[in-house]
Amino acid sequence: MEKKPAEKKAAPILVQMGIFAAILFVSSLISSLFPASFVVPTPLIGMVILYILLATHIVKLEQVEKFGDLMISLIAFMFVPSGIQLAGSLGLMKREGLQDIIVSVIATIIILVVIAYVGALIIKIHQKITGRTDDEEESEKGGN
Amino acid sequence: MDAVLVLPFTGIFISLLVYLIGQWLFDKTNGFFLFTPLLVGMVLGIVILMIWAKVTGSTTATVYKAYYKPGGDIIFWFLNPATMAFAIPLYRRNDVFKKYWFDAILTLFIGGFISLFGIHLVCKLFGLSATSTAAMLPQAATTAVAMPVAAGIGGDSAVTAMACILNAVVIYALAEFLIKVLRLKQIPKVGTGLGLGSAGHTVGSAKAVQLGSIQGAMASVAVVGIAVAMDVLVPIYYALFMK
Repeated sequence: MEKKPAEKKAAPILVQMGIFAAILFVSSLISSLFPASFVVPTPLIGMVILYILLATHIVKLEQVEKFGDLMISLIAFMFVPSGIQLAGSLGLMKREGLQDIIVSVIATIIILVVIAYVGALIIKIHQKITGRTDDEEESEKGGN
Repeated sequence: MDAVLVLPFTGIFISLLVYLIGQWLFDKTNGFFLFTPLLVGMVLGIVILMIWAKVTGSTTATVYKAYYKPGGDIIFWFLNPATMAFAIPLYRRNDVFKKYWFDAILTLFIGGFISLFGIHLVCKLFGLSATSTAAMLPQAATTAVAMPVAAGIGGDSAVTAMACILNAVVIYALAEFLIKVLRLKQIPKVGTGLGLGSAGHTVGSAKAVQLGSIQGAMASVAVVGIAVAMDVLVPIYYALFMK
């Protein structure tokens, strides 16, 4: 990603982990307030809190960046146990595993198409209403 | 021996071993899509547990619970800070987010709801059980969010995890093809970025960055935004149409 020309000194890694741990702790408390029928997972709350803290400059980018980037760079590996978890549901997989796989693949394409085109439509409507044709459309013509 | 094998060392070692084998295969084949390290790791890990069960005359589920899970859970826990860290790429592109925040949020909620209809329909078409259908619905959210949301409406979260992994594999393998066929370069960039980020998360974001800066930024927005949208929409959808 783009880096600012004047790189500020990163906070010590333990401090960065401390910020993550504090936010996750608070998030887990908030998460427990929601009923079982409306689950709001801890990492989701953590994500929102971290974004708010960054946007309000209470937490600076250089205080969380190094640890956060490390975590994101390892995320594919961290998904391994959730994948292997299927070993505990092999009965279900035997019954409808193939269908599950096909539906997952089709679902991916559905999500891509629907979100992309709804987004395109909303942007176009928004631009019609405000009458603004900003750089978005101009660069579109040059882009292809 | 058994007392040692139930310690977390076993699961952590297996996880790293299978993932590294996947990475090695991926490099050797110049990035063949079926050898995505995560997919290889998942399949290989399950095969190891199945063989283990055969040899010891136990069931795979028992072996998984007793020997793999203690270590697996430790790695799995780190998904909490990793998922939370998605706020950082979003904040880095706050300039773009501020400009399009309204369109982005509206898109993710409306588009997300329509996607749920689509996925539900496909599930019915293929005759999936209620457990699997509930597992399929929240897959647009990132795994660590999708799994508890699926479990909340009675889905098997292991199936959700697999669906999320397959999303990444599909986008990795087919992104260029889909972008061309679906004419995603011809529509406003905000839409393309949101679509790729929602469908492929980190993999989709990487593909979106290749298309351009706005697409990449919107993909980062989508990873966070669609997780929030799914968390809100899935229980509502479930209460309205599946109860």
